[in-house]
Amino acid sequence: MRNTWLIIKREYLERVRTRSFIVLTLLLPAIVGGAFILPMKIATMKSGGKTPHLVVVTSSRQLGELARIQLLAKDRSDDEEDNSTAKSSSENTPDKDKYVIDVDTQPSDAERAALRDRITTGAIDGYIWLSDEAIAQRKAIYSGRNATDFMDKSSLSRALTRAIAEQQLATRGVTNQQADDLFKPVKLDMVRMENGLESKASGGMFFLIFGMVMLLYMAVIFYGVSVMRSVLEEKNTRILEVLLSSTTSTELMAGKLLGVGAVGLTQMVIWMVMAGSLALPSLAMYPSLSEIHISPFALAAFVVFFLLGYLLYSAIYAGIGAMVTTEQEGQQLQIIIVLPLVVAVFVMGPILRAPDSPIAVWTSMIPFLSPLLMFARIAVQPPPAWQIALSLVLLTATIAGILLLCARIYRVGVLMYGKRPTLPEIVKWLKYAKT
Amino acid sequence: MNAVELRNVCKKYDEFVAVDSLSFAIPPGKVYGLLGPNGAGKTSTLRMMIGIIIPDAGDISVLGEPFRRAHTEQIGYLPEERGLYRKMKVLDHLMFFAELKGLSRAEAKKRALQWCERLELSKWTGKKVEELSKGMQQKVQFIGALLHEPQLIIMDEPFSGLDPSNAIVLKDVLLELKKAGKTLLLSTHRMDQAERMCDSICLINRGRSLLEGDLRQIKSRFGMRNVQIKYEGDSRFLHEPRLVQSFNDYGNYVEVRLAPEADPQELLHLAASGARLSRFELMEPSLEEIFLDAVGKSNA
Repeated sequence: MRNTWLIIKREYLERVRTRSFIVLTLLLPAIVGGAFILPMKIATMKSGGKTPHLVVVTSSRQLGELARIQLLAKDRSDDEEDNSTAKSSSENTPDKDKYVIDVDTQPSDAERAALRDRITTGAIDGYIWLSDEAIAQRKAIYSGRNATDFMDKSSLSRALTRAIAEQQLATRGVTNQQADDLFKPVKLDMVRMENGLESKASGGMFFLIFGMVMLLYMAVIFYGVSVMRSVLEEKNTRILEVLLSSTTSTELMAGKLLGVGAVGLTQMVIWMVMAGSLALPSLAMYPSLSEIHISPFALAAFVVFFLLGYLLYSAIYAGIGAMVTTEQEGQQLQIIIVLPLVVAVFVMGPILRAPDSPIAVWTSMIPFLSPLLMFARIAVQPPPAWQIALSLVLLTATIAGILLLCARIYRVGVLMYGKRPTLPEIVKWLKYAKT
Repeated sequence: MNAVELRNVCKKYDEFVAVDSLSFAIPPGKVYGLLGPNGAGKTSTLRMMIGIIIPDAGDISVLGEPFRRAHTEQIGYLPEERGLYRKMKVLDHLMFFAELKGLSRAEAKKRALQWCERLELSKWTGKKVEELSKGMQQKVQFIGALLHEPQLIIMDEPFSGLDPSNAIVLKDVLLELKKAGKTLLLSTHRMDQAERMCDSICLINRGRSLLEGDLRQIKSRFGMRNVQIKYEGDSRFLHEPRLVQSFNDYGNYVEVRLAPEADPQELLHLAASGARLSRFELMEPSLEEIFLDAVGKSNA
C-alpha cells in the first residue's frame, strides 16, 4: 500500500512539475478559446466598428418605416427564449447602434443606379430593393458590398416578411397592438415524467450525456497514451528491475495507473474551472440554460462512471504498454480501445429512446460499454438500483482483473527482450508469473 | 547461518535452460563472486535471489530463511543494465528508491545527501539524471542500492562503464561494507576484479556450476604450474613440448603453463642455456586462466 502510494506520488509529481504539462495546461485553453472567440470578435467588429448604413427602397413610406423598426428590433430569437419579459416588438427599444437605415421612396431605375454608385464610393453599405413588384412576388433584393455575411439572411428576410405582413394587416384595419398579439411566438415546454412526477426537462440530460461521451473519449485518448508511455519508459530504461527488487508488479501497475490518471484529472479539472469561470457570466445571460435540470444523483453517477471508465481504459493501455516494445506497435493496438467506445456511441441512440429495453439493460452491464451506457440510462430514466449496482460491481471487478493481468504480463514480458509476444507466449507468461 | 543459500535451483525459459540445478552458499560477511561468461545464467541467478523471477525448482534461502518479499528490504541490488528515470532529479530519485525500501522521507534525504557527498555527487543532486555522465549515473545507481543499509548487497557487473579512479572509489566503499559485516555478492566476467576482491567464487557456465569454493583453495588446487619469464635471446625453450604445455607472450614477459609432470627446474636450465633471464617466477595460475580453462573444458 505504502509502495503504491509512493509510486502514485512520484508519477504525479514528476509529471505535473514538467514544463510541458504547465504549458499545455495553460496553452490549450488559450488556443481553443482563441479559435472560438477570435472569429466571433471579428464578426461583431463589423467593418472596423463603423455602423453599417443601409437604405430601404420602397414606394410606401409606411412600409419603409415598418421595415426599419423590424430591422432595428433586437434579435427575435432572444424574445422567443425570454418569454416572461417578452414585449411587443414595436415597444422593443430599437438597437440604435445596429444600423443606420434610411428610407427611400423612389424605386426607380435611376435611383437604383445612384444607390449603386453610393455603394461603390462607400457612402452606404447596401440597399434593400423592395419595389411594389418585389412585394407582390415576395422577392426582395439586398445588394451590398458584403452580401454574404454582413447580415444574417434569414433574420433579414424575417424582418421584411413581418414588415410586409404588418403593413398589409394595417391596410385591412388591424391595429399595431393587435398585430403584435398575432405575431406573439409560441413557447414550447418539455416535461419529463419521472416516477410519476413531472419535471421539466430541457436539453440538460442530453447535454450531460454528450458531455460524458466527449470527455471520456478525450480523456482516454489523451491520457491513456501517457499511461502506456510510462509503462514503456520503464521497460526501455530497465528501471523495472530495480523497482521489482523493492515492490511487486501489481503495486507498480496500480501506482502508475492512478498516478498518471490523477495527472489527467488534474488537467481536466483545471480546464473545466477555467472554461467555467469564462463561460458562466455569459451563460447567465441565457435564462433558458438555468432551466437545465440535473439531479444530484445523475451528477454523482457522472463522476463515478467517468472515473471508472477512465480507469478501465487506462488499464487496457497499460496492458498494451506491457506487451509491446515500442510506441508505434502500441498505437497499432489502440483499436482495442477505440472500438468499444465507438460501439457504445452507436448503441446510445436506441438506448436513449428505450432505456428499459432488454438490449439497454444488458449492454449497460458490459464493462467496456457500461461507463457510457449505464450513465446514459441513469440520466434519462434511473434504472432499478440492482442494475446500477451490478454494473458497478462488474466494472470494478474488470478493472481489478485487467490490472492483475497486466501486472503479470508486465512482470514477465519486461524481462524478455526484443520482439512482440505472440498470444500463446502471453498465455505462457501468465503461467510463469504465478506469484 | 549462510547469507544466501541455493539448493538445486533450476530456471528454464521455454526450452532454454538458463540455470541448471545450481547450488552454492554464501557465508555472511564475505565477498562472493559469481563468475561466468556472457549468457552463463548469472543474471538469472541473481534475479531469482531477489524475487524478480521465480525458480522452476529448488530452494533459495536468504539470511537463513526461505526467500520472502520482506527480505528485499535487507537486500541492495544493482542491476547490470542501469535503470534510472532519466527526467528525475538525482536527489528525488535517490529518495524515491530509499522510501520504497521503507525509509522515512527525512531519513531518506539525510542518507542520500551523505552518500552524494561521499561519492562527489553533491554538486549534481539538483540535476536531472539525463544530464549526468554515464559514470555518474552509475554512482547514483550504486548509492540507490545501498541507501537502506542492506545486510546483503547483490551487484551485477558493478564496475562496468567506470573509469579506473571511480572504480577504485566504489571498490573501497564495497570493502568498507565488508568490514562492517555486510555480505557482498558480485557477478562479473572481469576476472582481475574478482581475483582481487572475492573471498569465494562460484564459476558457472551454461547454467551449471563448474567450480565453487574458497578462491585461495581453488587456486592452490591448481598448484604452482605457471612460470613468468623475462628474457633476452633464444626463445627455443618455449617450444619444448615435454616441458611447456602452452605459453602466452604479454610483451614484457611470457607466461608459461608447465606441461603435466614437468619439472620447473628443468625449464630454468633449458631457458638459461640459450637466453639471458632477468626473471623466472613460479606462481599460481591467475583466475582468468582457471576460468578460461574450466569454461573451455565444459564447452568441449
